[in-house]
Amino acid sequence: MNCIVCMTHVPDTASIIKIGPDGKHIDESGIKWIVSPYDEYALEAALQLVEAQGGEVTVVCYGPARAEAGLRECLARGAHKAVHVVGGEETLGDSMAIAKVLAAAVKDREYDVVLCGVKGVGTDNSQVPQMLAELLDLPHVTNVTKLDVAEGTFTAEREVEGGVEVVESPLPAVVAATKGLNEPRYASLKGIMAAKRKPVEKVEVSALGLDEAALAGAEATYSVRALELPPAKEAGKVIQGEDDPKAAAAELARLLRDEAKVI
Amino acid sequence: MEYKADMRDMKFQLFEWLPTTKLLEAERYAEWDEENISMVLDEALKIAQEQLAPTNVDGDRIGAQYADGKVTLPESFKPAYQTLCEGGWVGITTNPEFGGMGLPEVVGSAVNEFFFGANMALSLHVLLTRGAGSMIENFGTDEMKQLFVEKLYSGEWGGTMCLTEPQAGSDVGAVKTKAVKQDDGRYLISGEKIFITSGDHDLCDNIIHLVLARVPGAPPGTKGISLFVVPKFRVNPDGSLGEPNDVYTAGIEEKMGIHGSPTCSLVFGQNDACEGFLLGEENRGMKLMFHMMNAARIEVGLQGGALAGAAHQAALAYAKERLQSRHWTKFADKTAPQVPIIEHPDVRRMLMWSKAYTEAIRALLLITSYYIDMTHVTEGEEQERYQSYVNVMTPICKAWGSHWGMLVTNTALEVFGGYGYTAEYPAEQYMRDCKIACIYEGTNGIQALDFVARKLPMKGGKPVMELMGMAEKTFKKLKDDPQFMEPAWMLAGALKTMQTISKELQKRPDGMLITLLDAFPMLDMVGTILGAHFLLEQAAIAKQKLGAIFESKGVDPKDEDASKKLLEDDADAAFYHDKVQTAIHFCYRALPLVSAHAAAIRAGELAPMHAVMR
Repeated sequence: MNCIVCMTHVPDTASIIKIGPDGKHIDESGIKWIVSPYDEYALEAALQLVEAQGGEVTVVCYGPARAEAGLRECLARGAHKAVHVVGGEETLGDSMAIAKVLAAAVKDREYDVVLCGVKGVGTDNSQVPQMLAELLDLPHVTNVTKLDVAEGTFTAEREVEGGVEVVESPLPAVVAATKGLNEPRYASLKGIMAAKRKPVEKVEVSALGLDEAALAGAEATYSVRALELPPAKEAGKVIQGEDDPKAAAAELARLLRDEAKVI
Repeated sequence: MEYKADMRDMKFQLFEWLPTTKLLEAERYAEWDEENISMVLDEALKIAQEQLAPTNVDGDRIGAQYADGKVTLPESFKPAYQTLCEGGWVGITTNPEFGGMGLPEVVGSAVNEFFFGANMALSLHVLLTRGAGSMIENFGTDEMKQLFVEKLYSGEWGGTMCLTEPQAGSDVGAVKTKAVKQDDGRYLISGEKIFITSGDHDLCDNIIHLVLARVPGAPPGTKGISLFVVPKFRVNPDGSLGEPNDVYTAGIEEKMGIHGSPTCSLVFGQNDACEGFLLGEENRGMKLMFHMMNAARIEVGLQGGALAGAAHQAALAYAKERLQSRHWTKFADKTAPQVPIIEHPDVRRMLMWSKAYTEAIRALLLITSYYIDMTHVTEGEEQERYQSYVNVMTPICKAWGSHWGMLVTNTALEVFGGYGYTAEYPAEQYMRDCKIACIYEGTNGIQALDFVARKLPMKGGKPVMELMGMAEKTFKKLKDDPQFMEPAWMLAGALKTMQTISKELQKRPDGMLITLLDAFPMLDMVGTILGAHFLLEQAAIAKQKLGAIFESKGVDPKDEDASKKLLEDDADAAFYHDKVQTAIHFCYRALPLVSAHAAAIRAGELAPMHAVMR
């Protein structure tokens, strides 16, 4: 059972996001980068599969130089090797471009299952796993909260509106993990020590037969016009009611009806 | 309970101030470099925040429970402790030959600040377990090492140190517990011990006690004390657990804080069936025990710094959120909106003061740990020199770290106002938990006596003079920098005062009494000087890096608006800027204590001795 885990390196969800000078990217200074939390579920699922059935976990990331730290983190958690396709600044957010690069990086490797997080918390597009599966001509299941793998086949539970869908599929396949699938482990000190010696294979996009400039240019399926921060939260309105609660209640009802339009 | 830590300052102190990167080049640490140590720190903080901190309130509110001779800990402690065991965190700095992880002490101290800050009660188990393992590794027979050390370093079994008895607290020499040698070489142990941290609990299958006891005919005092390994359950030669070893837990203390850490009364050998194994030689136990006690003393100082850090971070976050009163520039305008209390000068002073002491304690603990590491990678005279620094610093770490750490938790609580006094916010628990650090492992008074009687005069005072010499160098480096000129001269003044006092005390007829009376103020003087020296050294580095950021961004430091904007936008710039302010604040607010103590000492103020105190 060989597993490939696709990982994306994203700003820590607790980061304070600022818009960069070009108005289209975030300002990366002072940002702490982490393995996207959904990818942690994918990695944990892969590690558990391999622990139970043997084989290796390979983590693949398409991202800039700093993403190597994320790969090392995955290696520290127990992945066996890592592939770093260096790049991705210009194709950021373009799910199709990312899927093309990942598909090219993955297609000739040995694997039984490709695991992804259901989305990267950076751009939140939730499209890469499905696109990757189509490009690799594989079945895919997303939003997976339970995964049982047998010889050449698997059963997955996925969250759907108001219920749980149970899906059976042959392997190989692409599985996109979401919260609830497992509890990701912490890296052990031994794991962190070992990660230093594990291989991280560096791959240029051009070596995959792809032209990153074209992916970001003529072939782009996505473009950012402008980034804006959400409007600052306005101060709440306090209705003074100590002297006349009746009037205060009436005022509250009026505001809820006329201004907030919730009643 | 949420736990926040200042990771930026931790990494600054480790990698920008201390030569940790250089240390890691030693063969002993070949597996480690700045990158994976950084990962170690990130993972440790994550575990502290996600596993240890959420159980801290259970530790306090449920606490250790005693019934029928057994102690149980809150259920939530178990998975948290398991996480520490599985990750190798219990044996983080210990010998890889016995399953330890072999990380430098300086990294261990950084990690332990997070663990103690997140959950002091639970982390205490780890401290003692690691310490007991180290004792057996250093002084045990091969058989003992094989049976116990790996199980302790992995956290599978727990460890304790059993010194105190009802009549033998600070006066350890008064220990009465008996050890009688049997024909097969074992000893039968009998006696009562009190105040035994982690003496019994349900986190581990077995507990290995290190017990101070007397063999028949032993000389009185500390020279007649021997040290024994006494397991809770006997251990078969194959390492499996045998029958209970007649160690009975008679009860646990109701305490002010660290409720999640059971403080046990243990009865050894009430059925004459408690076997123990001699560690080292008969009557040499106290000397060996100091090996564990010294390590533990440093870690207790670390607890003071850790809780100070946790309390300060909590207060800082609260001060940014809590709205009260108008901005001081608009105090007359009754319609002006309420502002976060961090805008109020009085609150800012409390926060700055807490930050300064927290970082000074952190620096003291980290550099002492670094000196310990240096004893491992050097030889001969150089090694002796580092060891002498460690010896001098140990009581300062313990007493200065816990004393001022405790006072930081006190100030942090005040930032919360009335809410700080309630259990709804974490400040009061930090303060209660921290107090014990001033007391156990030898009260701060005992530490001060150790400092003035043993450590100051050690090697003719050379190690202390060398440490003070480093502070002198910092003064010389900064005395011509307009920003640091006055703080630097204050440091020089404090150094001079300290020298004068040392000389005077040697000549004065009341020198001995004054030294005993003012042992703690003298320790505080040296601690304060070191604190100022460390923070100024750090500030000098920070200032340089801040200058580089201004230059690279093309901002003129004289342009106030542009500077303000840069400090708002650039996290690194803000960090370095505040490091400079922190050092300045510490010099103005802490260094005067040196001359204040000195005034009383030089005047020979003896009111406490003259008073009747009826």
